[in-house]
Amino acid sequence: MLLQVHEVIKRFGTTLALDCCNLSVEKGEVIGLLGPNGAGKTTCIRSLIGLVPIDEGSITVFGLKQDGKNKDIRRRIGYVTQEITIYEDMSARDNLAFFASLYKMTKAEIEVRIAEVAKIIGLEGRLNEKSKHYSGGMKRRLNIGCALMHNPELIIMDEPTVGIDPQSRSFILRFVKELAQKGVTVIYTSHYIEEVEAVASRILIMDSGHIIAEGTLAQLIARIQGDHIIEVEVRIGSEEKKKQLQGIPEVKEVVYTDNRYRIVVPGGIPILDKILLTLSDQSLVSINTKQPNLEDVFLTLTGKQLRDEVTS
Amino acid sequence: MIWFYCKRSLKDVLGHAILIFFPLVLIFFFDYLYRNVDIETGLALGGPSRITALTIGFALTFQIYGSAISFETLAEDVYGPMRNRLFASPIETRSLLLAVLVSSAIVSMVQTTIIMLFSRFVLGALYPRLPLIILILLISVVFNQLLGTVILLLSKGVKLANMVTMLYGSIAPMLAGLYFPLPKNTFFSFIQSYGTPMNLANSASLALMDDQVFQAVPALLALLVLTFVLLGILKPLSRGVQV
Repeated sequence: MLLQVHEVIKRFGTTLALDCCNLSVEKGEVIGLLGPNGAGKTTCIRSLIGLVPIDEGSITVFGLKQDGKNKDIRRRIGYVTQEITIYEDMSARDNLAFFASLYKMTKAEIEVRIAEVAKIIGLEGRLNEKSKHYSGGMKRRLNIGCALMHNPELIIMDEPTVGIDPQSRSFILRFVKELAQKGVTVIYTSHYIEEVEAVASRILIMDSGHIIAEGTLAQLIARIQGDHIIEVEVRIGSEEKKKQLQGIPEVKEVVYTDNRYRIVVPGGIPILDKILLTLSDQSLVSINTKQPNLEDVFLTLTGKQLRDEVTS
Repeated sequence: MIWFYCKRSLKDVLGHAILIFFPLVLIFFFDYLYRNVDIETGLALGGPSRITALTIGFALTFQIYGSAISFETLAEDVYGPMRNRLFASPIETRSLLLAVLVSSAIVSMVQTTIIMLFSRFVLGALYPRLPLIILILLISVVFNQLLGTVILLLSKGVKLANMVTMLYGSIAPMLAGLYFPLPKNTFFSFIQSYGTPMNLANSASLALMDDQVFQAVPALLALLVLTFVLLGILKPLSRGVQV
């Protein structure tokens, strides 16, 4: 076991950020950590690194107790921060060299590693430019590169693709897959479900400070496999209609956002007529039925949309 | 690491230009004023020439403003998003503080040296006992960098540190008699020599250049004590940075 979080509790004043959080990660896994804003993902990640002291429970990383002071643990973790944390007035080379120096790498080691990392992040030939002249995607890649300099065994990526172009996003996803092939352990958090679907070998869904579901993509979908999803778009929706839909005995779950109802019903039960009858006075725009995917699993388990929370 | 921080500090070209050219302009201005207008200077001159005294005074004054080099760098690193990346590494807070303080002291001392060299070769300032004068200026640089950093860590933001250094940088040269003469009495004479750390460094430097070693030593010792007091305060404060 590379990492074990056991019954961890963390409070910020009266707010319970981590509530009996349990999770474990095996060596070589790529873990996709999903959760709405405020679910506790960032607190969980920072506790793993030792940036946030926990109140109760225990965290073991590489077989060592994480007490926030263990330098051996930090030496073996690469942390890709959610914000772009590079020195924009400095060149990419200076940034890479500086962050490597924090890990006591020698000058010669740093020089060799800069060339390797520049190739990985696709910035060879532009290393001597000030990073403030880079595009958003290039800055993101440099942000990742800075966390790779010391060859970490565990890479924690907190929303590494926020605000970048599709080209850089696919570059980063391809890069995470390559890391996985090399046996590097990765914890990847994102608001983009399709990213997590694409890279993760195991997915953890977090809400209200603890893990509410975990498994491979297939295992998670199987949890709601028997269900059908009916999506109805109307011109003028309302929370009141949502409650009426929830009142239909066969309906398992209703999520309402932006004039769209997402209704989970057990497969094989013909209730479309009841749904249409309930919504008939709302000017129907479209009706779709579909097989569940990871987004549906997330919605069913948390009752919250993920993508809409990106900007909040 | 120290080299990286020096390089990073040097990127603020405008800041350095202000900290180098503004004192030179002031030295020119006051020298011109005292030469051409029949007014009493506030400088208690003995041996050192007026231009030398003005150079030392304004170099010390702008060292105070130069303290921003360390506290602004540090604020960006420990109170901004960079904090998480830095403290996710095995770096010790004290190593980080030391690197920032040493690099900022080097950069500030380079500024002081440029001012002194310019005054020496362009304005004809003379610096007897130069190695000792450099030592005093260096202690003053360290004191100012420590002062800004201590205020930053106490207030956990740059606002107060900026305010205090601006205020101190405005009042201390006045009390040193750099802009206008102070009333001639024991109290103001004491204040002019020992009133602020800048006054201590100023009077120690001027006294040394005037061969008045016994007058210089108490001022220098007081400045050293204050520097060590700040170092003592910094130690527990640095422990609180990482948590």
